[in-house]
Amino acid sequence: SRSRSKSKRISGFDMAPPASAMLAAGAAAAAAAGQIPGTSPTLPGVF
Amino acid sequence: CSRLHTKPSISPTLLLSNMYQRPDMITPGVDAQGNPIDPRKIQEHFEEFYEDLFEELSKYGEIESLNICDNLADHMVGNVYVQFREEEHAANALRNLSGRYYSGRPIIVDFSPVTDFREATCR
Repeated sequence: SRSRSKSKRISGFDMAPPASAMLAAGAAAAAAAGQIPGTSPTLPGVF
Repeated sequence: CSRLHTKPSISPTLLLSNMYQRPDMITPGVDAQGNPIDPRKIQEHFEEFYEDLFEELSKYGEIESLNICDNLADHMVGNVYVQFREEEHAANALRNLSGRYYSGRPIIVDFSPVTDFREATCR
């Protein structure tokens, strides 16, 4: 087993989404099915 | 690629889709608020993510390899591939990770046909 000298950071595992984000569960499911929505980079000047 | 790859019913390798989110995923080197991010911070963020994953996945079996796609392109963005020594360990991890969250996002886990990352190209 590995030694842990530094204090343990809280793992991101089981960090549930905030209540407000739960309302957008449909959107999360969409993201899960494919890629993350709204992340395609918008290139300025390109239409 | 945009092809639909068949998901094997059993494999030593798991795919965790879109799990890693770079802090500068919208614009390279810049955070969501438009402030520049120190490259060391990005590296640190990545290492913490890797450590979280390694620690969690080690509970389910011996890890052969752990690959995190640290890319910014649309394709495979943030995908995590974890190969266990044994198929049953991968199956155990899949059962235990399904339906859970990481940093407020659902974990999407499936078996992956990839067993050799040097040969991992679309066929």
